[in-house]
Amino acid sequence: MDILNMMMGQGVVSTLADQLHNLFMLLFDNAVVAGFLMKCVGIGAILGIISVAAIVFTYGERKVCAFMQVRIGPNRVGGRFGLLQPIADMLKLMSKEDIIPQGCDRVVWALGPMLLFVPTALIYAFFPFDNGVALADVNVGIFLMLAISSQAVLPFLISGYASNSKYAFIGGMRTVAQMLSYEAPMVFSLLGVVMLSGSMRMSDIVNAQSEQLWFILMQPIAFVVFVISATAETNRVPFDLVEGEAEIVAGPFAEYSGMRWALFFLAEYANLLSVSILTTVFFLGGWNGPFLPGVVWFGLKVLAMVFVFMWFRWTFPRTRIDQMLAFSWKILLPLALVNVLFTGVGIYARQWM
Amino acid sequence: MFGEGLLTGMGVTWKHFWGKKETFCYPEEKLPMTERFRGGHLVLDHKKCIACSLCSLACPNQAIKLKIVPDAKKKRHMQSYVHLVGRCLYCNLCVEACNMHALSWDKNYAISSWHKEEMEDELVTAEGLAYFHEVMEKAKAEAEAEAKVAAEKAEAEKTGGDA
Ligand code: SF4
Ligand code: SF4
Repeated sequence: MDILNMMMGQGVVSTLADQLHNLFMLLFDNAVVAGFLMKCVGIGAILGIISVAAIVFTYGERKVCAFMQVRIGPNRVGGRFGLLQPIADMLKLMSKEDIIPQGCDRVVWALGPMLLFVPTALIYAFFPFDNGVALADVNVGIFLMLAISSQAVLPFLISGYASNSKYAFIGGMRTVAQMLSYEAPMVFSLLGVVMLSGSMRMSDIVNAQSEQLWFILMQPIAFVVFVISATAETNRVPFDLVEGEAEIVAGPFAEYSGMRWALFFLAEYANLLSVSILTTVFFLGGWNGPFLPGVVWFGLKVLAMVFVFMWFRWTFPRTRIDQMLAFSWKILLPLALVNVLFTGVGIYARQWM
Repeated sequence: MFGEGLLTGMGVTWKHFWGKKETFCYPEEKLPMTERFRGGHLVLDHKKCIACSLCSLACPNQAIKLKIVPDAKKKRHMQSYVHLVGRCLYCNLCVEACNMHALSWDKNYAISSWHKEEMEDELVTAEGLAYFHEVMEKAKAEAEAEAKVAAEKAEAEKTGGDA
C-alpha cells in the first residue's frame, strides 16, 4: 500500500526526501538545521548526477560513435563490452603531466576550467526532476537559467586569452560570437513556451503540459529552433567551431592537459545533460507519463534527448563560422520570432472562441 | 526542402547504428580464410597417403623430407613427413601434385615462432604413427600367414607328390 501510494501520489524521490527530512528532524530537532542539511543532500545529489552522467556519457558517446561508424567501440577494458573504459580514461587523464604553457597568464589560466564548471552546475538547481523535486523551484526559473548559463561564455574567453596561444584565442573569440548569437533564437523559442504556460517557473511549465498537450506538438518550430541552438550552446558538432580540431587545434582547450582538460570535458557533458533536461522540461512533458514513476519517465526522456544530440554529432560535418552565424541571425531568429507571433495570435484567438 | 539532406544523413547513421558491425575482435574472433588460401601448416591425411613421394618431388625448394618404409609385403608407408616451413614458399605445388588429395593447408596464418627448430613441422601425427605401426604389423602378420599357407601348401604338394 505504501509503495502504491509512493508511485501514484508523490513520486519516489519526494517520498525519500520527506523521510530523510523527518530523520534529520528527529536527529537535530531543529527545522533550520534540517532544511540546511536537506539542501546539502540536494547539492550532493546534483553533483553526483553530473559526475555519473559524465562517466556514463563518455562511454555512451564512444559506443554511439562506434556503432554509427560500423565499429563496435570499447571492447577490452572491463569485459566484452568495455564497461570500465571511462574509468581507464579518467585514470589516464589524472596521471598525465600538468603542463603549464610558457608566457600564459597563470592565475587566469588556471581559473578558466574551474569557473566554467560553476554556471554549468549552477543551473541544475532549477531543474524539476520529478513532481516537486527541484532544488530551487523559483518563479523566474527560465530567466535565471538563461542568465546563468550565458555566463559560461566568459570562462571560455578567459582561458582562450590566458593561454597565450593564437589558436586558443581565436577559439575563445569564436565562443563569444557563437554562444551569444545562439542565445537570441534560444530565448525567443522559449518565449512561445512561456506564453502558452503563462509562467517562467519550470514546474509550472511541466504541469501546463500535462493539462494541455506536450509542447513539442504545440510548438514544433520552437522545438526545432531550441534543439539547434542548444547544440550550438553546448559547442557540439555541427557547431563545434570552438574546438574545431582541423582549424584551431582544440580552441581554448589547446593548452590544457590532464585534469584541467578533464574539467572542460566534464563541463561539456554536464552541458549536454542540462540541454537534454531543458528540452525534456520545455517540450517533452517533463516527468509526465503513464504507469512508471515520474523520475523514470524523466530519465528516459532525457536519455533519449542525449542520444539525439549524440546522433547529430556523429552524423553532421562541421559548419563554417560565417555560415553558422548567418544561420543563427538570418534563419533561426526570424523563425523564432514568427513562432512567437503565431503563438500570440493563437492564444488571442482562443480567448475569443 | 531545406534540411532534407540532414535528415537523409541521420537516416543513414540510424541504419548503421542498428546494423551489423564490421569489426572483428581479432584474437578472440578470427575471419574465416578463403577456400584457396595458402598458408600455415600442411596437414597430411595419413589414411589417404600412399607414400608415393610425388609431393616431395614436386617441391621446388626441397622443403619436404620424407621417410618412407616398405612393409613386409613391399608396400610403402609414410613414417615421417617433415615440412620445412622456413623453406616453403607456399606455391601449393605439393598439394596439387598429390593424386590422393591427402595434403591440405590448415589455414592458420599465426605461425611465427621463436626458434628455427620450431619451423620443422612433422606432419605424421601420433595417431598417424600408430596407424603406421598398425599397418606394418598387419602386413607382417598377413605376410607371415601367407608364408605359412604357402609353406603348408608346398609341404602338402611335396607329400602329395611323394604319394
Ligand atoms: S608449397 Fe611449394 S614450397 Fe611449400 S612445401 Fe609445397 S611444394 Fe614445397
Ligand atoms: S603426393 Fe600425396 S600420397 Fe604421395 S606421398 Fe605426398 S601426400 Fe602422400
